[in-house]
Amino acid sequence: MAGRILVIEDDPASLELLKYLLERAGYSVRSAPDGATGLRAALEYSFDLILCDLQMPELTGFEVIARLRSSPDWRPVPMIAVTAYSMPGDRESVMAAGFTEYMTKPIDPDNFLADIDRWLAQAPGSGTT
Amino acid sequence: MTPTGKYEALAQSESPDAVVVLTASGEILHWDAGAEALFGFAPADAIGRSLFDLIVPDSLRHEEAGRLAVAGTEGTVTFESLRQRKDGSRLYVCITSKTIPNPDGGDPLILSTKKDVTQLRVLRDAQRIESKFRDLLESVPDAVVIVNPAGHIVYFNEHSQRLFGYTPEELKGEPIEVLLPERFRAAHLAHRVGYFSQPRPRSMGIGLELYGLRKDGSEFPVDIGLSPLQVEDTTLAMSAIRDISVRKQIELELRDKNVALEKANFAKTQFLASMSHELRTPLNSIIGFTGTLLMRMPGPLNEGQEKQLRTVQTSARHLLSLINDLLDLAKIEADRLELELEAVDSSAVLHEVSETLMTQAEQKKLQFTMALPQDSVFLKADRRALSQILINLTDNAIKFTDYGSVRLTLARRADSFPKQVEIRIEDTGPGMRNEDVARAFDPFTRFGVGDRVMKAGTGLGLHLSQKLATRMEGRILCESRLGHGTTFTLVMLEA
Repeated sequence: MAGRILVIEDDPASLELLKYLLERAGYSVRSAPDGATGLRAALEYSFDLILCDLQMPELTGFEVIARLRSSPDWRPVPMIAVTAYSMPGDRESVMAAGFTEYMTKPIDPDNFLADIDRWLAQAPGSGTT
Repeated sequence: MTPTGKYEALAQSESPDAVVVLTASGEILHWDAGAEALFGFAPADAIGRSLFDLIVPDSLRHEEAGRLAVAGTEGTVTFESLRQRKDGSRLYVCITSKTIPNPDGGDPLILSTKKDVTQLRVLRDAQRIESKFRDLLESVPDAVVIVNPAGHIVYFNEHSQRLFGYTPEELKGEPIEVLLPERFRAAHLAHRVGYFSQPRPRSMGIGLELYGLRKDGSEFPVDIGLSPLQVEDTTLAMSAIRDISVRKQIELELRDKNVALEKANFAKTQFLASMSHELRTPLNSIIGFTGTLLMRMPGPLNEGQEKQLRTVQTSARHLLSLINDLLDLAKIEADRLELELEAVDSSAVLHEVSETLMTQAEQKKLQFTMALPQDSVFLKADRRALSQILINLTDNAIKFTDYGSVRLTLARRADSFPKQVEIRIEDTGPGMRNEDVARAFDPFTRFGVGDRVMKAGTGLGLHLSQKLATRMEGRILCESRLGHGTTFTLVMLEA
């Protein structure tokens, strides 16, 4: 069946929305309400895709990905940055930080699942359901 | 010792005048105590050197050589001229040169006496100025100080007395440098000599910080205007001096205020950026869950529920666009919106716009058409901003039109220089009253149409679009007549 997805998001309502949409589509979802929890989960369990909010208190999305990439236990999977405002130059800095893609909030439920499918299909060694 | 001998020695050591013996070519053979006192060179520094190198200003070498020649042919010559001291300062001297026999045989020598007549000259120049220009100089609103080519003050008007605290008697004949703080004096002396070699009206030290020095030792910032003043055979320098303490003070205060304003503006932009983020976060779940409900993910909807959810969705999206526009506007106001002007293919952008909005037009059963030239037209624009403007104008056209069509046309403006391109967005909507056309680009305008008010105001969209167009050297025009539709025209430069 479809893959395992980690959602790191500090806004509970947004987290609920993402979890709802993904679980409805049959994905197995683990949620993390802050960067530190997300970082631990990402290193402890294995996922096919990680969605990560950028603007979080304490550990930001940028810090989460930087720490993952410098950790010897990290097995890379596609990471999607979720952010509330797109400014010129944002996309470049997000991609430079090592994210696979960039998604702006508010997310559009119509296209959201299609995007997730596409990113999972791109993931090496995954997408074979 | 004869009485005469006694006085002779005194006269020699105490003479206020300089006594010098020269060869016909100007080599110094004798340099007495008076010469040392007058010019600052000790006999050991002077003897054996050329008089020309020692005390004759460059511009007067020719004159001195001529006078020595006259002394040679006529036996004696008397004249008045300018000489310089060891420290570079200048003085007026009255010179008498006389041919004398050479005690060692050989070519005759020249005996030259020099008397300091600077004060006499000052008095004479002062008299000339006062008789000619006094009324004029006392009537000007600035402090006026007039200086002779030796750098000595010959005139000091009443404003100057008030500004510097000296009386004219205290300063007449003093070097102008007494009015400058110590640290500027040496440099000023050099500038002054330079000025007299090429006198012309100019303001002194543009962009420099100049200061005056009062009698009581206090300093104040000044602006100085210089101009030459011809009085008979002498070129004097007139300086008009203005105390700019108040202006300086205001400049400083303005600078401080500007810094404070910049900080406040930056804080405002930061605030708007973080506020925008905070406002968008809850909208994420509002728009998201409205979407899931409308997609019937949790279960079926009845007609009333669907209608109300659509209203929630429309309002939430409107709120989102207002927040986005507000942030863009804040960035424009703070000059933080960075636009990259490049050659943008207009048809590519127009196709994107039509793809984005086609469905919306179809839902309202409007005819949506686009007319583009055969070849590609490149505009000088920022791609994102151009697309934002066109989406905004087209979206408005669709939103406000209930029947008929929305038509996009791109055409080059004939005979325009620099070459301009027009993108017209025409609708068959209700049109606007003249007074509404006039304020179409004001923020938060709501248009009255007949007896009803347009359901959704344009918010900030048109206002922002016009600002973006201006930043790209373009503009948006609006034409409309009540009952006959509206046309917005974006005029841009062709790349």
